[in-house]
Amino acid sequence: MIEFRDVGKRFADGTVGLESLSLTAREGEITVLVGPSGCGKTTSLRTVNRMVEPTSGAVLLAGRDVAQGDPAELRRGIGYVIQQAGLFPHRRVIDNVATVPVLQGLSRREARARAAEVLERVGLDDALAQRWPAQLSGGQQQRVGVARALAGDAPVLLMDEPFSAVDPVVRVELQDELLRLQADLGKTILFVTHDIDEAIRLGDRVAVLRVGGRLAQFAPPDELLAQPVDDFVSGFVGRDRGYRRLGFLPATALRLVDLPTRADANGDTAGPAVPGEWTVLLDGSERPAAWLGPDGARHDLGSVYVTDGDDAAADAAGTLRGALDAALSSPAGRGVAVDGAGRYRGGVDTDDVLALLDRSAPR
Amino acid sequence: MLGRLVEWFSAPAQWSGSAGIPTRVLEHLGYTLLAVAIAAVIALPLGAVIGHTRRGGLAVVGVANGLRALPELGVLVLFVLLLGLGLLPPTLALVLLAIPPMLAGAYSGVAGADPGAVDAARGMGMRESQILLQVEVPAAVPLVLGGVRFATLQVVATATIAAYVGLGGLGRYIIDGFSVRDFPQMLGGALIVAVLSIVVELVLQLLGRFVTPGPDRLRLRGRPDRHAAAAPSSVPTPPSPERPDR
Ligand SMILES: Nc1ncnc2c1ncn2[C@@H]1O[C@H](COP(=O)(O)OP(=O)(O)OP(=O)(O)O)[C@@H](O)[C@H]1O
Ligand SMILES: [Mg+2]
Repeated sequence: MIEFRDVGKRFADGTVGLESLSLTAREGEITVLVGPSGCGKTTSLRTVNRMVEPTSGAVLLAGRDVAQGDPAELRRGIGYVIQQAGLFPHRRVIDNVATVPVLQGLSRREARARAAEVLERVGLDDALAQRWPAQLSGGQQQRVGVARALAGDAPVLLMDEPFSAVDPVVRVELQDELLRLQADLGKTILFVTHDIDEAIRLGDRVAVLRVGGRLAQFAPPDELLAQPVDDFVSGFVGRDRGYRRLGFLPATALRLVDLPTRADANGDTAGPAVPGEWTVLLDGSERPAAWLGPDGARHDLGSVYVTDGDDAAADAAGTLRGALDAALSSPAGRGVAVDGAGRYRGGVDTDDVLALLDRSAPR
Repeated sequence: MLGRLVEWFSAPAQWSGSAGIPTRVLEHLGYTLLAVAIAAVIALPLGAVIGHTRRGGLAVVGVANGLRALPELGVLVLFVLLLGLGLLPPTLALVLLAIPPMLAGAYSGVAGADPGAVDAARGMGMRESQILLQVEVPAAVPLVLGGVRFATLQVVATATIAAYVGLGGLGRYIIDGFSVRDFPQMLGGALIVAVLSIVVELVLQLLGRFVTPGPDRLRLRGRPDRHAAAAPSSVPTPPSPERPDR
């Protein structure tokens, strides 16, 4: 648990980075700090490992004031990941990751073994371990940065915009990776970003900050989307917050409808099974392959609604957002539902989704 | 003229004995090594510490530029007046010559280390000395080597002044030749200094490639770096103004 108690920071030049921040990041959760540039996110994060010393208030880590004791000692027990990755260019990847274990007193051998373990954990190939940082892509460098922070086995992780320097596709991969890791490791993570989408995706709880580190709202993401406390927060979470919120609403009450289907192993498009109706063409393993229009022509499936969330790749699995996406993107006016393995489960009727939406509207 | 130069070089006496070319070259290299080593012991740690703390950077630049502007011969005369004859005055004059480039190399190399890497190092719990030795100094090696090379070349070229105070070295040929108007001897001495500079430069370049840490290092044995070619060679960035909070 990380507890900020009236933490204030006035820099030597008089700039007030933080006025008085009070906030608790719970054990085993991802707490995201989000807000506009210069609002004090980095400053508050860095008061935890004393890279910034507060001028008032205190930060408590597991109940103990971090200001007591040796900062270097403190930092070895806290993982730290920054935007630029900050890898040591003259050390091979494996030795970069082994840095903290060595600082903690492990022999080089033990530290390397530990590093190899962690690299595997973050999905980095064995072959990459012997490379130099300059020989990695941006995304790989960030993974190494995360591995390096995990190698010390610290229960607390501080992450300052760790994914904002990589392109959007890689960013989503890294976010998935972090969620997967977190499901295994259950660290207490304080995560800074200025990207509200990232905050909502990753955060168990999200703190929206205004300039001066003033806390505008601190809530789980769905609550933030449903009930922004003021114009600042609603402006920050954006105009499409209503739609985004659907990603948090389960569609368990949704009744799947039957669609006409036609099994076809050969990709043969001889004509619809049910004359004059939209028919789902299934491949040999019962996975929907395409729509057949009333005239027998093939059409794209559109996005499918994945009913259960086993598959980590399906972000909106089992949610109203997934169902609505499927219904709206289908050429047939009805969406196709599949299970986690991609097998055909039924159809999604637009009217049913809208009716559910109607019932779940925030009041 | 060319014929007499060749004659000077090919005289057998030139290649042996206490006034022979090999002896003079060794003397010359000896003065150089001594001065560069003393200057390195002073300038490199000082530059590194200033680069790390970023305190006194301006003073360093000022002192370095001041030293650069001093005329070596004048300095030598001053030291001789103060300290008398012997090895000390010319060595000190050469040390003063060698300090500025090494100081500047160590300072800018350390201060130019990737701020992200330094921040990460501090954030993961390295102590200041560990940050300096494990992160900043390795990053500074190319610039430090550049400073050492430049200093050494200047000292090689200037160590001829030792001959003014009765010492040996290649300066002997130039001074002795001048006093008896033996131009082939003067020219021969100058030529040897020039060739020596080139050889020293090449040797230092090569040595440098062995001690540079990271992907660009030359290795005699072991696994070749498959990906080394893909790595951009590091370009030192000028020191950026640091936030004072650390
Ligand atoms: N060392 C410092 N000296 C003076 N002012 C500083 C210092 N560090 C930060 N500040 C100021 O404190 C305020 C908060 O900075 P901080 O870096 O915490 O913002 P941030 O929310 O992380 O912004 P960004 O999203 O741009 O990273 C800013 O006005 C910044 O200019
Ligand atoms: Mg920041």
